[in-house]
Amino acid sequence: MKKHHILPLFLGLFTLQTAFAQQELLLHQQSDLWHANAVNPAFFPSEKRFVIGGPSFGLDAAHSGDITYNDLLREQGDRTVLDVGNAINKLEPNNDVYFDQRFEIASAGVRLGSMFLQAGYAVRVNTAINYPKALAELFWYGNGPFVGQTLEIGPAINTANWNELYLGLGKRFGENLTIGARAKFLSGVGAVQSDENRRKISALTSNDIYQLSLTTDYAFHSSSIVSSIDTAGLGFDLSLNEIKNDFAANGGWAFDLGLQLKAGDRLTLSASVLDLGGSIAWKKNANYYRSQGTYAYNGIGIPGTDILNGTTDSLDFDAALDSLNDVLNFQKTDSEFTTELPMRIYVGGSFKLTERWVLGAVLHHFNSERRKATSVGASVHWSPLKWLTVGGMYSINDRSAANIGLSIVAKPGPLQLFILSDNALNAVTPYGSAAVNFRFGGAVVF
Amino acid sequence: MLIKSWSRYLLPALLGAGLFSACDKSLNDVELAERTPEYAFPLFSTEIGLKDLMFTILNDTLGGDTIVVNPDNTMTLYYSGDVAEKPATDIFEFFKFPDAPIPVPDTFFRFPFNVPDSVYIHRADVLTGLMNVIINNQLPHSIVGTFSIPQMSKNGQMFSYDFTIPAGQFLISPQYDLSGYLLLSDSNALEFRYEAYDPSGNRIVLPETAPGIPGMGILLNGFTLSYVQGYWGYSEYPLTLDTIDIDINQTDLKGNVRVKNPKVTMTVSNSWGFPTRGVVKHLSFIGQDGKDYKLESSVFFGDSIDFAYPSLAAGEVGQTKYTSVTLDENNSNIAEIFNAQPVKLIYEVAGISNATKDPNIVGFLTDKSTIALRMSVELLLEGSVQDFGSEQILDLNFGEYSELDSTDIESVEFKVVTENSSPIGAKLQMYFQDENGIALDSLFIGEPQPILQAPSVDANGIAIGSKRTETFVPMDVERFDRVRQSKNILMRTFFTTADGGLVPVKLLATQSAAVRMGLKVKLRVGGE
Repeated sequence: MKKHHILPLFLGLFTLQTAFAQQELLLHQQSDLWHANAVNPAFFPSEKRFVIGGPSFGLDAAHSGDITYNDLLREQGDRTVLDVGNAINKLEPNNDVYFDQRFEIASAGVRLGSMFLQAGYAVRVNTAINYPKALAELFWYGNGPFVGQTLEIGPAINTANWNELYLGLGKRFGENLTIGARAKFLSGVGAVQSDENRRKISALTSNDIYQLSLTTDYAFHSSSIVSSIDTAGLGFDLSLNEIKNDFAANGGWAFDLGLQLKAGDRLTLSASVLDLGGSIAWKKNANYYRSQGTYAYNGIGIPGTDILNGTTDSLDFDAALDSLNDVLNFQKTDSEFTTELPMRIYVGGSFKLTERWVLGAVLHHFNSERRKATSVGASVHWSPLKWLTVGGMYSINDRSAANIGLSIVAKPGPLQLFILSDNALNAVTPYGSAAVNFRFGGAVVF
Repeated sequence: MLIKSWSRYLLPALLGAGLFSACDKSLNDVELAERTPEYAFPLFSTEIGLKDLMFTILNDTLGGDTIVVNPDNTMTLYYSGDVAEKPATDIFEFFKFPDAPIPVPDTFFRFPFNVPDSVYIHRADVLTGLMNVIINNQLPHSIVGTFSIPQMSKNGQMFSYDFTIPAGQFLISPQYDLSGYLLLSDSNALEFRYEAYDPSGNRIVLPETAPGIPGMGILLNGFTLSYVQGYWGYSEYPLTLDTIDIDINQTDLKGNVRVKNPKVTMTVSNSWGFPTRGVVKHLSFIGQDGKDYKLESSVFFGDSIDFAYPSLAAGEVGQTKYTSVTLDENNSNIAEIFNAQPVKLIYEVAGISNATKDPNIVGFLTDKSTIALRMSVELLLEGSVQDFGSEQILDLNFGEYSELDSTDIESVEFKVVTENSSPIGAKLQMYFQDENGIALDSLFIGEPQPILQAPSVDANGIAIGSKRTETFVPMDVERFDRVRQSKNILMRTFFTTADGGLVPVKLLATQSAAVRMGLKVKLRVGGE
């Protein structure tokens, strides 16, 4: 086990904020890319029979508001300085951080007549954090500036890291309709899931003589990530597990469905539903941590009669400081729990204007327990060379109405190499962006 | 064509390299930016009730002192001297018979008994006593006779003893229990009588056994009286000499204490059945300046006062009468004396019986008659003080605060909050000392600060509500460095009552003062 102090955990929270959102609108519009079947199981490169998918990495992350990586980190001489204070000014009373990462390790596909099979292995991380500005302020500025104020500082954290082993089947019906389905076995690695009904941590510094009180009704589930909360020292440490579980210890299933319809020579329509019914039952190292109660620290209380009687003749702050331990007093109980995978829906269409130009439109809807979001985009793709296609997209999502996406797809010989982003400016300047979206990868197709 | 072919692979490679470099912002050497977080936390709190305070003052010193919470919650301090209790037997000694037999040299003999000067006993009731009659017959013939004490009777029967003694014999009568016998006399003497006859019936006088030793005598043992009645003439005797410490003023610090309407009360309980006059031989306070301040009062007539007593004529035998004399600002100079903050009261009182020398006074004493005198100083906790000082030294341990790297500390600020429902305010100065008692620094720069303010008082001198006072004590890191290394605090407090100590205030048992302290520490962390 490794021990981590709360400080790096907190900093980690902020660094997560520099990551971004997994809508992958442009990927859905590249139906000839092997890795596009990640967003629609009905996609299979046309006129190809056999595919070996190489690694592909996709990241979609965002922080609410305008906070960016550069707000946190700045260069000062030859040093990189973390300045949370600069970022705090941009925080809203409540802030959300999303982080969705998909790493396709390996995949393969084969076409058998009107049918095709696909299989693969991927690692995914999905995180949603909601935290109040007060938490960051309390950490960075201390409680001194907040005397007399009750600060609600309880964050909600839902994060899960899992492996996916999937097997899919697609079939073309007639010349125009292709339907695909994919079953995914999910192997949970680690998770933390806040109890939505218990996320109260209130901190008050009295304006009398700064008496401290902390009222908690806070709880979360954890599998493998947090193994204990040690309050033996001043402050408290989280004891974190190395994220490693038996492959089948925390199991679950999810399903993808997709279709592609050629409506004439130029128009193609497509739709998919991903991670349908997806859930993971966490059984291995699964615990429930709960802190409930009110902790009050009023300093040393010296009865007046003790002073008068000479029973107390000293002021000893050493012992008093020790009593700050065990403030949160988390109680740990064994408890299995289940996390739901966010479901995603794509609906798109493309119109082949010429041999080199294709116009398209796509809608994406994301639905998770903590977040629902819809985005739409209009795209244009141009193939100046037979092996090279570049694309552009204008899209609107819940964060911005001015996202310009770019994609480059190169197909030298049997290779398929691509890099794309629904917000290209952010992708190449991630440190100055509040949201980042990109994906790249490669495959060999025959 | 070659260039075109290579470009298929070069372009994606360049794009990938560019993306990687964009992400290559190493977090390995990230440092926290300089910041000045401020942490606030409480240090201590205490609350002292006036009632507890006054009880403690008393318990620390004189066990006989009491504090009384009056029905209106005012408090009265009583500093009392010892109770000087004088049983009558300590002053007056009656009928002290010799251990040897009392000779009866003749057939009629008056034995003068021992009584105090100027006292004439008319009646005495025997409580205890054993008596033998001793007869030595040296004659060559037997004798018969009767021994009697005409003044001693029981149930109306005079005491008498009949005897017969053979020739040359020695006789000791049976032992007689004299309890319950009544002795009557008007001359402070007892009469013994005997009649003895020879065989021929001739009355005789018993010859001496040896020269100067008569042939008859009586032996008395354990003789005590339960009641004595008679005439008491003028007689002076000591009652008490005592000292009362008044510790409320016994501090080394200077102040100006004014107590409103202090009182000295002399209480006498008396069951002696004759008039007694108390004579104040000495009554004075010793001031803080060591000077003697005589307490003079119009309640005394020439430094004397007659104590009430149970009257024989009124049938008050066995009763106790009380006399209470209070010396206050209306009848004495006590208020003036208390301005000098006295620390002791010294008094000496004597008694005089029948001070008027009335020849007709008939009094009494019983075996339980006592006269008890108690002197007390009574201070209703009402008054005013100006800059009345006290000192206290507390050990101090800042614990982990003393080990903080001072380079991280930019400044600190103590906050002292007091809530005071008593009419006493206070200025405070704390001196932070090292283990050798050497002052390292002080809480306030310069003069003590008024951290405890008194609420206003009403027309009766009672505090109205509670007064909250907040005092902030900023301290730079250099001073705080010295303070947190200290091992002791010397607290000097100077009390002043409401309205600048100019009007008397009442201290109530329900009043208290709460003192709390918190600390803000501003750190400078991060950066180079």
